[in-house]
Amino acid sequence: MSLCLRSFLCSRRGALWFGAVGAAFMILLGLLVVERVQSREQKNGMERRAIESLNAFNTGTPAAQLTGVERAFVLKPANLPHNLVRFSFVSGWDRMKPDAQFAGELTDPSTRRLHDLAAAAVYRNSYEIAWDHSGPVSLVIAAWAGKDHAYVVVMPQSVPPPAFPWMPFLIAGVLALLGLLLIPASWAPLAAFTAAFVPLLVFLAGYRITPYEGTGSHLSAFGAGMGHGTFRWFFAAAALVLAAAGAAWKHGIAGRFFTGLREHRVAMTYVVPAMIGMLVLVLVPFAAGLALGFFSHCNGNFAFVGLRNFWEILSGGGAAITHPLNFWFTLGVTLMWTLFNVVLHVGIGLGLALLLKDPLLRMKGVYRVLLIIPWAMPNYITALMWKGMFQQQYGAINVLLDSLGIGSISWFSTFWPSFMANVITNTWLGFPFMMVVSLGALQSIPTSLYEAAEVDGASRWQQFRLITLPLLRPALFPAIVLGSIWTFNMFNIIYLVSAGEPGGSTDILITEAYQWAFKRGERYGLAAAYAALIFVVLLLYSKMANRLTRAGEDM
Amino acid sequence: MKQSSRTRLVLTHVFLIFFTILTLYPVMLVVKKSLTPGDHFERTLNPVPTKVTLDHYKAVIGSKDSAGRSLFGRQLLNSLVVALATTLVGMFLAATAAYAFSRFRFPGRAIGLSMFLVVQMFPATLIMIPLYVLLDKMGLLNSVAGLVLVYSTTAIPFCVWMLKGYFDTIPKELEEAAWIDGATRFGMFWRVVLPLSRPALAVTALFSFMTAWNEYILAETFLNEETAYTLPVMLQHYVGSHSTSWGSFAAGSVLVSIPVMALFYVLQKHLVGGLTAGGVKG
Repeated sequence: MSLCLRSFLCSRRGALWFGAVGAAFMILLGLLVVERVQSREQKNGMERRAIESLNAFNTGTPAAQLTGVERAFVLKPANLPHNLVRFSFVSGWDRMKPDAQFAGELTDPSTRRLHDLAAAAVYRNSYEIAWDHSGPVSLVIAAWAGKDHAYVVVMPQSVPPPAFPWMPFLIAGVLALLGLLLIPASWAPLAAFTAAFVPLLVFLAGYRITPYEGTGSHLSAFGAGMGHGTFRWFFAAAALVLAAAGAAWKHGIAGRFFTGLREHRVAMTYVVPAMIGMLVLVLVPFAAGLALGFFSHCNGNFAFVGLRNFWEILSGGGAAITHPLNFWFTLGVTLMWTLFNVVLHVGIGLGLALLLKDPLLRMKGVYRVLLIIPWAMPNYITALMWKGMFQQQYGAINVLLDSLGIGSISWFSTFWPSFMANVITNTWLGFPFMMVVSLGALQSIPTSLYEAAEVDGASRWQQFRLITLPLLRPALFPAIVLGSIWTFNMFNIIYLVSAGEPGGSTDILITEAYQWAFKRGERYGLAAAYAALIFVVLLLYSKMANRLTRAGEDM
Repeated sequence: MKQSSRTRLVLTHVFLIFFTILTLYPVMLVVKKSLTPGDHFERTLNPVPTKVTLDHYKAVIGSKDSAGRSLFGRQLLNSLVVALATTLVGMFLAATAAYAFSRFRFPGRAIGLSMFLVVQMFPATLIMIPLYVLLDKMGLLNSVAGLVLVYSTTAIPFCVWMLKGYFDTIPKELEEAAWIDGATRFGMFWRVVLPLSRPALAVTALFSFMTAWNEYILAETFLNEETAYTLPVMLQHYVGSHSTSWGSFAAGSVLVSIPVMALFYVLQKHLVGGLTAGGVKG
């Protein structure tokens, strides 16, 4: 038993396993401890700012000049029997609706919180602070009871609900296990490399981030010497670097790397230019984007929120699983979208290729050129063109349906027609690639095989099933994997054809991430976390596909 | 036997013609729109223009900026320079890297290759914001150079995989013969391998060109001066927020698509061979 364990620990995989689990544990622990402290500090800071704004507001500063305040009200209490108070608006101001008028009593449910808080402030004759986490952006509501008025300010804070005790641990644990099972030991250098760059990237990401006023605990610490923030990142980075260094040392990678550089000077001169380009313009932005997933963004300020973005996404963000804002719903739609498209692309492409392969068929070149056209069209043009065809009143498709007596369909007001409109557009766009790949693959199958089969009396179907399909597989499979990755991330079609209608239900993950970043309150952090999850899904998929191919080759 | 194969041929032709028309129908509608006067739509299925005018084309080509200089010419030039430079830079980097991956065994080879595959999975929206900051710091926003750098790196991974696959099919003996004749390493690459992989190079070039010529999200994000726009960004603005001029959009779409279609037409013979031997065999 002990011998067994010992040999396992000394193997490459065992060492990696050990190192990675240790590192993951340390990082999680560090993040969790630090996050607790951090979240309390952050909350205090926000509340202090809310009170400062409130002070400014009740001493006569116009609400529009208060930074970070979204709504501000002056309320007038009227005393009722039994110590109850009822408020009515004296004046009100809303940054989103500067022209809105506020008057009358606060009786409807939407003003319930304002009312209760103002009542509490009047009752205690002091400040009152409350948090509202019910919307997409958390609100700090502060109230202060003056001589005969109550003042209320509402400040949005991009902090998702704070509760998350066990789930991140569980999810991280499952992911770590999966990763360890799927990542081969030969990837250790990649892990080491990534780890070495993480601190640098975090530094870069933090470089431009401006701190909240009045609180010293945000990323300003990077610019201004040591603070809690630096300590936190130092802790996480050190854990990673240690783990990676351990793994690297274990495999003698560092030594091999340097001797390797000398021995393989020629090879390096060929590879290095492309590598540098990829490193600077793809990997660095990618890692910086990933780092962004740990931050929350509000009005140009970034604050470290640890795993909360991920937690918010994976828990569904308060939306039911049947709701379009729920991650799992969108993931389901995305998978369905990918599956439909790939099946149609391969089916149509392969079918056409089989037809075009016929040696007796003339004008093959003409058909091929004409059928490739959808591929050559820029895909945003394709998307807008099809959007026009699906238009309810003048679109060609509805005109056709009308003339057939079926009646026109409102394509973008229910889920299935909208989804199918996307699928049809993308099928039009994507089948030529599969057709060309299939044509090439078919050409590489020697005709003598078919002649032999014919001599043996095999039917056309038997020839297809026993010769064509097995020999197509090695060529077609990578194309399918690549094609499904492209489809999974096919932003233009969804964004331009259905635009997620109705109600965001046809959004796929990539457009959902875009919506969070640029349409729903600039939640860059959440969008980055979304994108990171997309990457994880695709990575798992390609690993799985790789296994499938290998299994296929063994057979 | 002969009779049955003839009916089969006829049926195949009928099906292919039907399918081709179905495929080309949307394109014909766009061409029609670009030739029909006015911006409104008609309830008709007829893809043949009934009234023909070149006004939309004139409007697109004759567009001028506030100082009265030709905008279309400028934007066409931008697009051409960006696409050609991307093709050149991307091809050079991809071909050298692919050659090394195909011919040398060096530490990091497997990781490098898998990295080029994994990079395909990065969602562009994730990269966009950091890339914007990066380009801003390098002072490359609103510039052709910035776009060329970004586009060529996005084109490289696919090109490397395709070219590597193709290089693998070229026998090493040819290079060895050249070696004996006194060729250098670079000579073998430049004089032996590259000329032999013309089909794959053609396809790769086509891809790089298309990536740069057709891309608009990044261009839209990184460019904010009209004179720096590439054609897709210009086109997008015809259907932008203010008013939708469908006629000009259609005319612009036709103009933008023509060069790519022409390239496809010229290179389509290589497409089948180049694509299969390269990327797909891995």
